[in-house]
Amino acid sequence: MTRWSNASIRVRLTSWYSLVLALMLVVYATATFLAVRHEFYEQFDDQLHDDFETAEGRLMAAADGRVVPVGDRHHDPDAEDRGTEVWSANGELTYRSDSTPTLPPIVPAAATDTYRYESVEAGGHRWRTLTAVTMAGGRSVVLRVSRSEDHLRTQLWEIVVVLVLGLPLIVALAGVGGYVLARRALTPIDHLASAARRITADRLHERLSVPNQHDEIGRLAAVINETFGRLEASFDQLRRFTADASHELRTPLAVIRGTGEVALSDARTVAEFKDAVGSMLEDVDRLTHLVDTLLRLSHGDAGTVRLSPGTVDLGELAREVVGSLAILAEDRSQQIAVDAPDRVFVTADRLVLREAITNVVDNAIKYSSHGATIKVRVAPEKQEVVLTVADEGPGIPAEHRERIFDRFFRIDEARSRDRGGTGLGLAIAKWAVEVNGGHISVSDGPTHGSMFRISMPTTQQPSATHVEGQASQAMGRHT
Amino acid sequence: MASNISGVVRVLVVEDERKLAQVISSALQAEHYDVVVSPTGEDGFFRANAEVFDLVLLDLMLPGRNGLEILQTLRQRRIETPVLILTARDGIDDRVLGLDLGADDYLVKPFALPELLARVRALLRRGRPSDVFRLKAADLELDLVARRAVRGGRLLDLTAREFELLEYLLRHQGHLVSREMLARDVWKEPRRATPLDNVIDVQMTRLRKKVDVDSAERLIHTLRGVGFILKEGES
Repeated sequence: MTRWSNASIRVRLTSWYSLVLALMLVVYATATFLAVRHEFYEQFDDQLHDDFETAEGRLMAAADGRVVPVGDRHHDPDAEDRGTEVWSANGELTYRSDSTPTLPPIVPAAATDTYRYESVEAGGHRWRTLTAVTMAGGRSVVLRVSRSEDHLRTQLWEIVVVLVLGLPLIVALAGVGGYVLARRALTPIDHLASAARRITADRLHERLSVPNQHDEIGRLAAVINETFGRLEASFDQLRRFTADASHELRTPLAVIRGTGEVALSDARTVAEFKDAVGSMLEDVDRLTHLVDTLLRLSHGDAGTVRLSPGTVDLGELAREVVGSLAILAEDRSQQIAVDAPDRVFVTADRLVLREAITNVVDNAIKYSSHGATIKVRVAPEKQEVVLTVADEGPGIPAEHRERIFDRFFRIDEARSRDRGGTGLGLAIAKWAVEVNGGHISVSDGPTHGSMFRISMPTTQQPSATHVEGQASQAMGRHT
Repeated sequence: MASNISGVVRVLVVEDERKLAQVISSALQAEHYDVVVSPTGEDGFFRANAEVFDLVLLDLMLPGRNGLEILQTLRQRRIETPVLILTARDGIDDRVLGLDLGADDYLVKPFALPELLARVRALLRRGRPSDVFRLKAADLELDLVARRAVRGGRLLDLTAREFELLEYLLRHQGHLVSREMLARDVWKEPRRATPLDNVIDVQMTRLRKKVDVDSAERLIHTLRGVGFILKEGES
């Protein structure tokens, strides 16, 4: 079994093919032989019938009262391999030609006037006989004619020999042909496999050549190429992430170190020392926060975050988030306009989804100028509930939109850091939305700036008690 | 505060990392606690069994003996000293397991010292009535029943959140309050995130303006990189 499953596809293909062909040929040969034999016997029986009629015509009653064939021996009815017998009604043999072998005697009572064909063994040969009751000279006698089957059986045997010898030959030829065909058909796959093996981590930019896009091999190659594409993209992302992460982690470390060194060599007063230590602690805080966030994202990647999904009123949640961040907008003389109906329900882990919305709204506040208006809107659409956050910031150029949710991706390094971002807010938002079955994207805002769009699948309305519970919870939190 | 005969609060710190143990112990000593440091699980287990402490700070990852094991054995022997576990692991499992095994509170490393001290105070305070209706610092007075704040006879116009914030600072009067603590206890957020830090800072600025702006004595102070403190006697 193991060896069989280890055999190459072309060997297995050829074996199956030959086996099926052999079975079909055996059936075909058997059927042919049976048909031929049936036809031969029919012809043979016709000849025997002719013999019978000839003999019947020659029957005459002799002087002693016995009925015997007489006269015309023109076509030699009693040649070597033929015989004629006449039996009387009471079972007496009245005539037997010289060439007739000793056949078993006739039981006259069993004989009727219908022709009875039989094959009989006599003297080491098989004879075909035709027996029937006939009238001759006013008397009823039993006439039996016989022919040796030797010639017939020789002919049939020759046919069997031809069929039996020819069959394996045909199967063998077909097998060889099948093997060659299978090999020709499968060779491109071997080529693909060895080409694919050559493309490793450091040659991921290479692709398989696709000779014909529309045949099976071409489609396979295209699929493999697509996989390579995705693999290359994720490798690139990983490389970028590693580079970015080490940069992001090293920067605060360098600052801490520098601050400490400067303080030790330059600081004179307690106030100066305190200031240096405070500054170092701030960076430690930033670093801690960064590591925490990275850990959360990697938990997210590993799929080890346990969610507690429930029914969430997205409109209420949006208002809650805006309520908690309003003070930041106020501080920048910004307005946040919320247009969110009540009772638009989605299924999500409330805290996780809340974090996503918080990050997106915070992002909008951070990048909009003083006095701007940020529009937060929740609206049910066909199968989903959509939350949009439109800001009046500088907008995101189309070429960066793909990567805006990547970890540490920043359009403008210096400015973003000034505003206290870790570069992970939107990455967290993306994870938080997607882990809840939603989708997040960014596009141009209605006037200027950019617009973030979070869409979540709609949920059936929960029972009344559930809603009340949520409302009171929200009130408790929302102050 | 202490159940000890001498009146001094004794704290056992089971922590294998020498530097961290040193930092913790000097912070606790600055608060006038009597601190004993155990560098290994074996030693910590032995001391917790043999001596009387008011509080145990227990690291979960220890050489020799796992912190959870120590905790479990202590509780099995009916030693009910409050235990605060310290864990470097971020996993929820560890904390839940620790609390299930009888720990009274937990802190995830790296933690801020003000936070550690606040937890220690809270654990030592446990069981004593803390219901007060009035909080005071210098000429600032908070009426928790009427939810009114008065500074030098002048009624302060505070929002609900500002009132809660001021109440929290007053309850921790003279002690540092970290942003972490504010996020958890005042904003009731399970996780501290950058947006919230900004919210806390802006809120604190506003509160300070309302509380301190017309008074000669500043009560609310910011300690850079650490947090906030409300205390009298400094200008």
